[in-house]
Amino acid sequence: MLANSYYLIAHDDRTGRTRLHPRATGLGLAAGLLGELMLFGRLRAMTGDLYVVSHEPPGDSLCHTLLDLLVAQPQHKEIRTWLAYLSQDAADQVGERLLRAGVVEPVTKRKLLSAQTLYMPVNPDQRNAAAWESIRLAEALGRRRSMNLSDRVLVALVVATGLTRYVFFSPQQQRDCMQAMPGILSSLPDDLVQLVQYTEAAVGSALAAGRR
Amino acid sequence: MARTTMTGPDIVARGLANNRLGVPSVVFFGVAGAAPLTVILGSISTIYAVVGNTAVPLVYFVAALILSLFTVGFVAMSRHIVNSGAFYSYISHGLGRMIGVAAAFIALPAYAAMQIGLLGLFGVVAQSILAASGIAVSWFVCSVVGWLLVAILGVLWVDLSGKVLAVLLTVEIAIVLIYDFVMLAHPHGGRADFGSLNPVQLATPEVVAMLVLAIAGFVGFEATVVLSEEAKDPKKTIGRATHWAVLLPGLLCGVSAFAMSSNSGDIVGAARDDTTNLVFNLVTPYVPEALVNIGYILFLTSVFAAMLAFHTSVTRYQFALGRERVLPRVYGSAHPRTGAPIAGSVTQSVIALIVLILYFVTKTDPLVHLFAWMTVAGGLGVLILMWATSAAVVGFFLRDRRRENVWRARIAPLLAFLLLTFVLLATVIGLGDLLQVDDDSPFNWLFSTIYALCALFGIGWAAIMRGSRPDAYAGIGRGTEGFVAAESVFGRPTRPHRVTADVAHHAA
Repeated sequence: MLANSYYLIAHDDRTGRTRLHPRATGLGLAAGLLGELMLFGRLRAMTGDLYVVSHEPPGDSLCHTLLDLLVAQPQHKEIRTWLAYLSQDAADQVGERLLRAGVVEPVTKRKLLSAQTLYMPVNPDQRNAAAWESIRLAEALGRRRSMNLSDRVLVALVVATGLTRYVFFSPQQQRDCMQAMPGILSSLPDDLVQLVQYTEAAVGSALAAGRR
Repeated sequence: MARTTMTGPDIVARGLANNRLGVPSVVFFGVAGAAPLTVILGSISTIYAVVGNTAVPLVYFVAALILSLFTVGFVAMSRHIVNSGAFYSYISHGLGRMIGVAAAFIALPAYAAMQIGLLGLFGVVAQSILAASGIAVSWFVCSVVGWLLVAILGVLWVDLSGKVLAVLLTVEIAIVLIYDFVMLAHPHGGRADFGSLNPVQLATPEVVAMLVLAIAGFVGFEATVVLSEEAKDPKKTIGRATHWAVLLPGLLCGVSAFAMSSNSGDIVGAARDDTTNLVFNLVTPYVPEALVNIGYILFLTSVFAAMLAFHTSVTRYQFALGRERVLPRVYGSAHPRTGAPIAGSVTQSVIALIVLILYFVTKTDPLVHLFAWMTVAGGLGVLILMWATSAAVVGFFLRDRRRENVWRARIAPLLAFLLLTFVLLATVIGLGDLLQVDDDSPFNWLFSTIYALCALFGIGWAAIMRGSRPDAYAGIGRGTEGFVAAESVFGRPTRPHRVTADVAHHAA
């Protein structure tokens, strides 16, 4: 699942904290969820707008909920609106889905006045699985192995939201990744290219505004 | 955008609105950037002292009036631009990308000068507060401490949160109102003198040139449109907030300037003797000492908030320009975790420190030559920006009125443009008088010439970009979302996907 992989890459596997600005992580996860619906063939994008092309329920409950919401709110079409809306609670939604899949466990961290529930890998198996997500991408790109569509979108989202250095550790790997990017992007369907581009733009705007 | 025929509750719009800013928050953001207490205690007394003219209250009211007129067209135009950023994106929409880049290259030194000038004021105020409590330090040490705090907060990208700003601003306004009331209740000689409000004074070129000083007190209202992406209802919230952000400081500053002059018999002489302590010395006989001490502390926090706000605007400008590839790419990259635009922040801090050291080594007066001169120079830059923006609004609606009424699309923008042209001309001619330099001093024309050179450089730079990087050129002033990924981290997209910048069809 696209958003699951993105979640595991975007969060530190030891502290459970987000590696990016929280809003950037939210936008990346929102894009991951919309991307899943596109990969399932339920959603298409045209000139910055989203169109539901099939009402058939997807196998995953979170995707199903999101599809219902998209159908129920036809007055909102713009990708940027949906990214902004979904980014607000995408981290919790995807975190709970990972919890149901047994990949993470809820850990409550108390600060002075507030308590925050983090979804993070706890036991060694879960940690390995979490770390594998980024290693897998770096390996595939480094060895020029062919990647499936979902992974190509994942790499594009990683780069678009600024997670590059958490997947590709060495400067050489990062250069290789940047060189491979145009090829990866041109191999994606236009709907997903738009999704990635709007995500990158939205992350830029969110960071420029500097609000939490 | 919401359609008129709705089938049920608008879940998405409500969900988005919950987390967004309403009118008060946006006003606080804009007005706090302009820091009314800094303007009233710092600028107004410095204007009285340096220019030596008593028309200051009138000047603030007139400036507020002109800017209100300007805001009408400005806000109308903001309704038709996606991701309306700072002034320069308006200019590039209305007058073309070349002028837009020129404007950006004027904005950068202007805001930088403002921020550096405020460092001088911060040093002087902190020095006098410490001196009052028996600690003697140089203004330079205080300024450097302020500089260090801003530099650190800038790199960490800690914007004082909306709530902190709101509380500070509310207390600031309260104390200004108390001081004003006290000063107005005790006019000099027992009778109020309304001579300083006589509009006949506007006939002298010196008074018109003073408008630039007043306009420097309104710079925050540019910040309101930057928040349009964050507002509950970008169309309505931002419009109202921008009008408030002009009227509120205008009234406060005008009334305060009037209160000062009516309380003191010889305001110019008093201002020259007391400098930034002017207001405090005027109210001391009538209020408890604690209220004066609170005023001093608030003055310092207000100057600090203003410094941080200007630091943020400079770095935000650089970030936007870096993302649009006008500046080198490094300016467009932010720290992934905090989102801080490191390169811009460090650049501004380094320049500020160099200027501070230069002033210290040459033993130049921090209040007159650092604060007053730099903010006048910065104010001139901001005035040029506003003037160009008003021209851009006229140009934008001249091509297509986009269902705005005649007042908003034609009359108000044209009037604002003419008035600002007049003010700008008077300022350029009368700048020497404002700085109180001799007729043969190079400072009469130096600042205007620097801005002209910056503008020319911007136009040249844009021309080079058009020739060598047409993709990036097309994205100028379109914000981060207007032209998606003109030349993003992905290099040139294989299928450049262009989003139309004009959303008139959404704006109904």
